[in-house]
Amino acid sequence: MFRYVIRRLLESVLLMLGVLVLVFFLVRLTGDPVSLIVPMDAPTEQREAFRELMGLNAPLPVQFWEYMSRAVQGDFGNSLRRRGEANLGIILERLPATIQLALAALAFAVLVAVPLGLAGGMRPGSAVDRLARAVGLAGQTVPSFWLGMLLIVLFAVTLRWLPSFGRDGFASIILPAVALGFAGMGQLVRLTRSAVLDVRRADYVRTAHAKGMRALRVSLLHVLPNVAIPIVSVLGVQFTYLLGGSVYIEVVFAWPGLGSLLENAIRDADFPLVQAITIFISLFAISIHLLTDLAYGLLDPRLRRA
Amino acid sequence: MKRRTVYALAMTLMVMIALPLLAQAQGDRLVVALSSDPTSLFLPRASDRTAHNASLPLYDSLIWINEDLELEPALAERWEISEDGTEYVFHLRRDVTFHNGEPFTAASVVVTWETGTEPGNEYANFFTAASLVEAIDDYTVRFVTPEPNATFLTTLAFSWGMVPPAYIAEVGLDGFARAPVGTGPFRFVSRSAGERILMEANPDYWRAGYPLVSELEFRVVPDASTRLAAVQTGEIHIANRLSPDQAMMLARVDGVNVVSYLNDRAYYVGFKNVGAGAGTPLEDARVRQALNYGSDRFGIIAAIFAGQAEPIPGFVIEGNLGYDPATMEPFPYDPERARELLTEAGYPDGFEISMGCPADGYVNINEVCLALQRTLAGIGVEVNVEFRTTNSFWSEAQYGAVGAMFVDSWSSAIGEALPRLEGALVPGNYYTAWEDQRFADMVEQITLTVDRDARAELYRQMHEMMREDPPFIYLYQPTIFEAVNVRVQGYAPRAAEEYYLFKVSLD
Repeated sequence: MFRYVIRRLLESVLLMLGVLVLVFFLVRLTGDPVSLIVPMDAPTEQREAFRELMGLNAPLPVQFWEYMSRAVQGDFGNSLRRRGEANLGIILERLPATIQLALAALAFAVLVAVPLGLAGGMRPGSAVDRLARAVGLAGQTVPSFWLGMLLIVLFAVTLRWLPSFGRDGFASIILPAVALGFAGMGQLVRLTRSAVLDVRRADYVRTAHAKGMRALRVSLLHVLPNVAIPIVSVLGVQFTYLLGGSVYIEVVFAWPGLGSLLENAIRDADFPLVQAITIFISLFAISIHLLTDLAYGLLDPRLRRA
Repeated sequence: MKRRTVYALAMTLMVMIALPLLAQAQGDRLVVALSSDPTSLFLPRASDRTAHNASLPLYDSLIWINEDLELEPALAERWEISEDGTEYVFHLRRDVTFHNGEPFTAASVVVTWETGTEPGNEYANFFTAASLVEAIDDYTVRFVTPEPNATFLTTLAFSWGMVPPAYIAEVGLDGFARAPVGTGPFRFVSRSAGERILMEANPDYWRAGYPLVSELEFRVVPDASTRLAAVQTGEIHIANRLSPDQAMMLARVDGVNVVSYLNDRAYYVGFKNVGAGAGTPLEDARVRQALNYGSDRFGIIAAIFAGQAEPIPGFVIEGNLGYDPATMEPFPYDPERARELLTEAGYPDGFEISMGCPADGYVNINEVCLALQRTLAGIGVEVNVEFRTTNSFWSEAQYGAVGAMFVDSWSSAIGEALPRLEGALVPGNYYTAWEDQRFADMVEQITLTVDRDARAELYRQMHEMMREDPPFIYLYQPTIFEAVNVRVQGYAPRAAEEYYLFKVSLD
């Protein structure tokens, strides 16, 4: 177990270095930030002064070295647009909103998908099962931004039940959470259902039935714990998708998280901020994958003993 | 044990989800949508229209441009301009205080100038337009400009939001940007990044009786469809930057009015006689006229903009000083005339030419580029459209390199064509691709002419020159749509898309 943890840690560090290099050069392929930031009619001297001040006139290798040596120390530089503000501070300010939305989306996905998949899997071919399969398919095929617009039109504009955008209390998180969690929910329904289908024929389940246990108790006490492992492993991956995939949803619902910050930073050509957000999200994703792998050991007694 | 852990986790999850504060009741609060999160609320760093508009309610300048685009006294009661047009003396109001209680004096004007010229400011050029600002006494200030500057007062009115010296000295510019203080109709209450900016009415505002609402809230709503939804539900009162389709849809919705106006932004195809354009047929004025006759701007407006744009006669367009609809007419679409001119110029079979296009850089611009390609093929000119991402299109290394012609647009915030004339026609300026000393001289003459009527006449002459010897294909100026809740009274956006909200009230 210990050696496994060390190996996974080293892999994660290498992956992170790769991300750092890639982000730096990709961002720079998109063009010159000065011409987008400084107004069109500014004189040439002002452009040069600005370029100098922002350190954008240094040769690329020098900029790269500065960036890498700072990044490994946890310094993500300052925003080009928001003068004097550290990127890390800007990101941390927006992070809670993103995590909150991702958790809400995950909660929605799990609360709908697991009972539905369980019920469907226990009685294949039944009406519940057909519903589960339909929901699973819809979740994996409906594009989230389109679903988002649809939810706004239906629940905010037509029915006036929920706010159309923003982050004002519990009511405002419902629509974005559903839109964001919908795809993951679809995947989870299918996964739960197929896992249940495997388990329900197992000897211990048959024994439980045979000794007269009620169906619901069998599902909850014998089937659910055994389908938990694949579900948890997918949840970890889902969570990172939710963090990254929230860009569209955050923009559509004007949710003030990292996703809308990233969209804004790209539009503003705020290179350092785009870099910092990308690195931050990657770091998050890599950590979650690492934790998920380690969590297997906790959930599966066989792995723990090994 | 296990069950308790699960329970604790579930509780934590629920608390995290329910964390946001409950929504507050909205009584006399005007809510305005912004299409992006303002970069700064300090005017010299408010680097786009959105940030500028969100900052305006906090500040006043010495003078104000009123609804009829005339200069009106604001923090200065009156002013004098020297004979040679390079010195201004302003006499300040004595009854003005900043939101933090600091009195407004001549020292505030000097500090506003000093902080504005910092090289880290995007709009430093608006402040370096003055070479000296000095206090003569507490309520008299003298400005010096390096040479006569026709638009100096306009620049002053537009972007010199007065700032308090003691407060700036205490918190620094970065601190100021986080909690800005001005003399404006609204004072800053709070800001939540990416989400909202809250302001409240300044009870000591020097314009007695204003503002007319007690609170002003800006909400960041990046997606136009969401703005459209939120203005229908009444969650926001003013939503800007809607597409023509969205505006037409809203016209049928109760409770929402659609406001439309022509944007002071000229779309054009720029010719180059430097870089990739040198040595091409474009150097012949008859060819450039032919391309103007051969471009079906009317068809483009009808087909691509559903009629929601106006063809422009030149760079002096509706709403600009010197514009005269009687004598300034757009080039007609006349392929016959275009072919004649091409034949005269020695290109009876047309020619091939490249044209740069900023992909998705403006509304429908890709379609416009392709429509130009088709319409010019009609007069035998084969246009190779070269799309670039906006970022690389406008970057220093690329602007001159893409195409012998290029599609672009230029807005003006001052009610005059000068910014686009100066920016696109004076050699040495970053975006100048057409170099002609006669144009440059004319632009300089306009810049130096402080008298408004004389300047209007110069604009008309310049228009004629640019019609005979066109450095651009003049295309169109778009209509802008905003949706406004019926409760909103007294809202009047302007051609430059800026708005002042102190005269706006809610029914």
